[in-house]
Amino acid sequence: MSDAGATVVDDGTLKGGSTPPARAPRTGLRSPWTAVVAAAVLLLALFPVLSDDLYYQNMFILSMVFAIGAVGLNVITGYAGYVSLGQGAFIGLGAYTVGLCVNKIGGSPWVWVPVAGVVAGGIAALLGVVAMRARGHAFVILTIAFLFLTQLLATNWDSLTNGTGGITLPIPTWSVDYQYWPFYYTLMGLLAASLLMSWWIRRNKFGMGLIAIREDEDKAATVGVSTPTYKILAFSASAVFVGMAGGIYGYYIAFIDPLGMFNILLSVQIILSLLLGGRATLWGPVLGAFIIEWLNETSNNEFSGGNARLLIFGGLLVLVVLFMPRGIIPTANHWIERWRARGQAGLAGERLTGIDLRERAAPPPAPAPDASAPAVLEVKALDKRFGGVRAVDGASFAVPEGSITALIGPNGSGKTTVFNLIGGTMSPDGGEVWFDGQRIGGKPPWRRAHLGLGRTFQITRLFPEMTVLENVVAPLGEFHLGLLGANAVSGHEADRAEELLEFVGMKKYRDVRAAALSYGQQKLVELAQILMLDPKLILLDEPAGGINPTLIERIGEMIRELNSRGKTFLIVEHNMPFVLGLCNPILVLARGQTIACGGPEEIQRDPRVLDAYLGEDFRLEQPVGA
Amino acid sequence: MTEFLQALILGLLIGGVYALLASGLTLIFGVMNVINIAHGAFLILAAFVTWSIWRATGLDPLAAIVLLTPLMFAFGWLLYKITVGPIRTAPPAASVLLTFGLALFLEGVMGVIWGNTSHSVRPAYSTDSFRIGELFLPKAQVYGGLVAIVVLATLYLVLMRSWLGRAIRASAVNPQGAELVGVNVASVAALTFAVGVGSAGAGGAIASVLYPFLPGSHYQWIARLLGIIVLGGMGSLPGAVIGALCLGVAELMTVTYIGPEWATGVPYVFVFIVLLVRPQGILGTRLRQDVATA
Repeated sequence: MSDAGATVVDDGTLKGGSTPPARAPRTGLRSPWTAVVAAAVLLLALFPVLSDDLYYQNMFILSMVFAIGAVGLNVITGYAGYVSLGQGAFIGLGAYTVGLCVNKIGGSPWVWVPVAGVVAGGIAALLGVVAMRARGHAFVILTIAFLFLTQLLATNWDSLTNGTGGITLPIPTWSVDYQYWPFYYTLMGLLAASLLMSWWIRRNKFGMGLIAIREDEDKAATVGVSTPTYKILAFSASAVFVGMAGGIYGYYIAFIDPLGMFNILLSVQIILSLLLGGRATLWGPVLGAFIIEWLNETSNNEFSGGNARLLIFGGLLVLVVLFMPRGIIPTANHWIERWRARGQAGLAGERLTGIDLRERAAPPPAPAPDASAPAVLEVKALDKRFGGVRAVDGASFAVPEGSITALIGPNGSGKTTVFNLIGGTMSPDGGEVWFDGQRIGGKPPWRRAHLGLGRTFQITRLFPEMTVLENVVAPLGEFHLGLLGANAVSGHEADRAEELLEFVGMKKYRDVRAAALSYGQQKLVELAQILMLDPKLILLDEPAGGINPTLIERIGEMIRELNSRGKTFLIVEHNMPFVLGLCNPILVLARGQTIACGGPEEIQRDPRVLDAYLGEDFRLEQPVGA
Repeated sequence: MTEFLQALILGLLIGGVYALLASGLTLIFGVMNVINIAHGAFLILAAFVTWSIWRATGLDPLAAIVLLTPLMFAFGWLLYKITVGPIRTAPPAASVLLTFGLALFLEGVMGVIWGNTSHSVRPAYSTDSFRIGELFLPKAQVYGGLVAIVVLATLYLVLMRSWLGRAIRASAVNPQGAELVGVNVASVAALTFAVGVGSAGAGGAIASVLYPFLPGSHYQWIARLLGIIVLGGMGSLPGAVIGALCLGVAELMTVTYIGPEWATGVPYVFVFIVLLVRPQGILGTRLRQDVATA
């Protein structure tokens, strides 16, 4: 399926798969940080060997527990944009898993640490199922409820947890010479593993999908991102390592009770670490965790904790949200970038080549569709009501395979609603939608995308904070776990995306944030984005709306080009010359019903069409304004 | 039967107090799309202030509502201007984190001022009960419930009959439309926040008589109130009332038939069930955004 997508642009002038596309130099700021990170990691690794200061060893152990929590939280909150205020509960769950297993079954606590990870990940997945249909706010509330519920269960389920009495764990058996080393280095290994996971997710298609969900969840669904599955996987991934860290934490402090283990301040510390360090960055959560734990210790020593800790954490949370919402690392990067970019001009728009409007003959009108071609899309008696308004009122039509079909109609005739019903962003009140021989009326948008239905939006909806390349790589043409793990930054998927960008003429902009593009450029990128799905049928909502005439012509050419390679189009458009020169057949929608269907010539003369656009008593008796 | 009837009546009375508190929370959500996690902290703050006034002057806590409501209204307005207002257009996650931070900060402040010990306001009638047949109805609960209903009715009157109420409702339904017809949505948002916090002031004064409290109690309260508005449908005022009455009765039934230690779990169970079965709640439409217009 994916190979067919590459052939779309596989002609002599465009880059084939064999030659690796030239890459623009990355504008990332890795280099100055690499040395800092390496030095910090080295210092952390050698610290217990170099110093026998248990105060700092303890502080670093706790910092690493919270760092693991924050790196995990970053997956669901930083990448996917879902805030969890109950992440600390997974520390408690991990600790209780280890504590209970050691006390009820036996064995060394270390053996049970991986089990703690599985339990935390599994419970997070279940919670994800509960939250599947909920959006942002409901998810926040659910995570709070989850935290308090686990605390309540640990308190009241005496027979299992010994209630507020808590559970004690065996004292470590190794020589005191080794201090807390086993805890220290195991946590360091876990932290490395969770960072590796975070790094990997940020680079693969799964991560792109998560960021797409954060940026625009409805749009993500229309490009094949099966949002519930993504969210459940992300939440589960966010909990696994913190569950294991919680198990070690429980063993480390050797006493587990509901108030300590399900304390909301653990959650606060995790979320504050993530926010302060920088959401959606690799190292931000780690940096934040070390700062916050240091603050925590300081408040304990200087002000005997308690209220001081609440004032510091609460106040810091407010200050970060108000004054540094992006966190330390992104803010620092931003300043460095500005300092580096001083005096340089931005990437200017480029004249589209090869088109001179004056000298070009008008392209031949689209040929009449093959009468024997089967319908790739069929809509039967479709209904959609908004309160008393019948936006779509029994519309029926078919789109022949291989055609460029237009859907026109006066404003408010229900064209975009029809698109929404076909694409699955709205569900119809009645009628059927058949696509490629299947009834798709009840399917979610991502299933329709997997079947080969791609759509653009009237007002472009790119994922603003993602780069152009990431926007194009994010769509998921079919769902299987292997593809989720596919590298999105380089390799096959990225190459395909680059080819598509080249096809629409936007390759130069691959590392530019989508929000920085002009409207016309966004339209081109959005086209490349849905081509990534390798769709059979492409729904374009006003492709020529709000852009300059040269670009309109270029888009028309691209549509013809893609059509000649087998793509079917259904286009909503108000620009009549564009439609009449490009499309056949043309469907006319008025008051939610299809009133006419035929070739351009036919449609222009159809009295019902004239009536629908102009009204039956329309007479141009005198010049307007006379 | 007597036991059941007693639990039902007490549940409805306490539900009235919950309804008042949840109305403020759902109102703020409806207009601003902000989940005010600090709502519980506001009501505990009001309870502490009530306690201090009662200790200093002996003023009846239910009469103190007359003072607490405007006081908390002003506090809410000021706090909105300083903190919530500046991030009004930021993504919703920002406001959740901000109000969460405010809640923690207020908890710390209350801990410093009043200490982390359990307080309760005990006016003379707090140990008396009305006796109707075999039913024992503690006077504090009856008075508290009735006063809450009166305050809630006043809030409804303001919302339904006054210009401010219409502006608030208009801003909730369609902020752009409200702007176009001359409503200053930004200042309406500030007033709405203040009204919400003011109602938490009134509710907190009542709650101070009904339950013992300490700074950390706000978590339990916010969990309870969130459970209510999720059940009723977020942003829906009638939904908040229905949800509050349901929770009040369900808590009392849990206390009576299962055990008081499980009562705090009721709102969490509400949240889980509602999100699984009917994510938009009883009367709400806002939570279900996955079929929203493109």
